[in-house]
Amino acid sequence: MLLKPGPPMQAPGSIPIPVPVLRLPRGPDGYSRGFAPDGRRALAKPAGPDTQACGESQEQRARAVLRERFLRSLLAMGGRQVSFTLHEGVHVTACFGATDLDVANFYVSQLQTPIGVQAEALLRCSDMIAYTFKP
Amino acid sequence: MNEWMKKSPVEWQDYIYKQVKVTASEKKEYKGWVLTTDPVSASIVLVNFLEDSSLSVTGVMGHAIQTVETLSDGDHSVREKLMHLFTSGDCQVHSSEDLAKRKSSLKRWLEKNHIPVTEQGESQTICVAQVLTIEPPYGPENCISSNEIILSRVQDLIQGHLAASQ
Repeated sequence: MLLKPGPPMQAPGSIPIPVPVLRLPRGPDGYSRGFAPDGRRALAKPAGPDTQACGESQEQRARAVLRERFLRSLLAMGGRQVSFTLHEGVHVTACFGATDLDVANFYVSQLQTPIGVQAEALLRCSDMIAYTFKP
Repeated sequence: MNEWMKKSPVEWQDYIYKQVKVTASEKKEYKGWVLTTDPVSASIVLVNFLEDSSLSVTGVMGHAIQTVETLSDGDHSVREKLMHLFTSGDCQVHSSEDLAKRKSSLKRWLEKNHIPVTEQGESQTICVAQVLTIEPPYGPENCISSNEIILSRVQDLIQGHLAASQ
């Protein structure tokens, strides 16, 4: 016999098919800005549903409701023409793009200023009094 | 820091659905029905119903707010209109059987995609990897998570599921 005994060969067709794996990234540590120190997410460890419900104070629940409504209103503003009232009676209009999580800046495009149109711009929210849009 | 910014979330919540007059910097005045107040920036979001039955939404930045005066308490119709504003895209009502079907079908889809899924007790919520929750009617816009990467991936998966089931 010319063939030496080797490792058991698999019949063609029974080669294991690689399993697709979707790796979820690590969750937030819960200490960065935007997290309430005693919030539900700050724990970031599995706890029973009962303990979670108790730890969530009325204030935290109110915050969550208010914030969610605000974020959804910003979501509805995405890509729409928004008119901004700035200090010193300045009015500008632009297409709203995004904002950062502490609402410090608005990223806008096609900003129409008295001296021309700026393709992309960041508006400081501290310069702003109000904004209006039609959903 | 002005009086308005010092209020607590519970106090801000009391203003929801009420008609208010907001006085801001440079003697600017804004009237409207309160949709919400952002607890981070204290910016108030007002809604006005225009004559041509369209809406106008105005946000007044928290730092510019001087006073907020309540003009009237919201009636049922205003409450009804504001409640569903900007929430889930379709306002169609799902029966409980339909919801249960959607839930089990989505659960199976997520498990097929090797996503760890648990159910939260009696509530209708699906919990994913302890960091994301999906509420009825289980669409991409019903996902809640503080991790934007997981949020976007799971939303894409749900979108794929909806596309596949249609």
